[in-house]
Amino acid sequence: MTIASTSPHKLASARDLFALTKPRVMSLVIFTAICGLLAAPGSIHPVIGFTAILAISLGAGASAALNQWYEYDIDAVMKRTANRPLPAGRMDRETALHFGIGLSVFSVLLMGVAVNWLSAAILAFSIFFYAVIYTIWLKRSTPQNIVIGGAAGAFPPVIGWAAVTGDITMMPILLFAVIFFWTPPHFWALALFMNSDYSKAGVPMMPVVAGRQSTRKQVAGYSLVLAACAIAPFAIGAAGTVYGATAIMLSLAFIFLSFRVGVSKTEDPSAMKAEKDLFKFSIFYLFALFGALVADRMIFA
Amino acid sequence: MSEIDPKNTAMSPEEQKAYQAKQKQRAAIMAGLLFFLVVLFYLITFVKINSSIS
Repeated sequence: MTIASTSPHKLASARDLFALTKPRVMSLVIFTAICGLLAAPGSIHPVIGFTAILAISLGAGASAALNQWYEYDIDAVMKRTANRPLPAGRMDRETALHFGIGLSVFSVLLMGVAVNWLSAAILAFSIFFYAVIYTIWLKRSTPQNIVIGGAAGAFPPVIGWAAVTGDITMMPILLFAVIFFWTPPHFWALALFMNSDYSKAGVPMMPVVAGRQSTRKQVAGYSLVLAACAIAPFAIGAAGTVYGATAIMLSLAFIFLSFRVGVSKTEDPSAMKAEKDLFKFSIFYLFALFGALVADRMIFA
Repeated sequence: MSEIDPKNTAMSPEEQKAYQAKQKQRAAIMAGLLFFLVVLFYLITFVKINSSIS
């Protein structure tokens, strides 16, 4: 362990180290990973299943720590992130970097040794993808950052699935696609009413670069692709009617809310009800969709 | 563990107290985590051996 700074103000507390892992984001990662694990055909010993979820969570925490290590300058400018341990000055960057790398290595080794090396390899790639491809490379250089970066968040159900089966089939790829195509409308809805904050930080978010109207049209477009991916497991017979009915209803609601955003012309962030509604619903959508998948498996297994 | 820079070690008694409290808290949490990992690895080993026997 490193005493990164001898100043008492910079010795990171356990609470700050925990905050570095973005616990709220991690909850979604854990949930989708558990769903991937439970939806996979076959069985896994509860101890090994728990270890797989632990390793995925630690990997997600490691990615978040590396993300905050690199983005401390952006975080300092944005109101939403200014109180994070690094921009607030409660921790130095070296500690965050060591913590992130240490956690990454440990999570991958844990997954490989206890579960299987395919899921460990995907976990390692997902950490690399989020920390390097998204955070270091894409986020500051292209307005498509969220689209491609969304892949990083789409890996957990695939890893959960691979932990059980030891391989990758069509179903985990569809689960990946659902989160991948869910990410742009989810984040752009947020970015639309948080626009000023992203502009201040110089992050080329779609609403900043292409404008709000273009972003709104893209949100509506992505909702159609998302709906197709969400319904596909039912359509190809990989999921039952519980999942199918839920996916169709949720996707229709998602499309409706997205098109409401698509036709909105509001420029005042405080009046962007459609965007705020879509953002809130998008979180519910993902939880409900994956919950339905697990329920479907439990019922029809 | 990195070396402590003597230039930065001058702390007031309050600062030193806060510093030591943080160190103590981190050490206690680390001990808890290590204990948890010992138990976890014991269980993993147990499961792996069991599955290879059966």
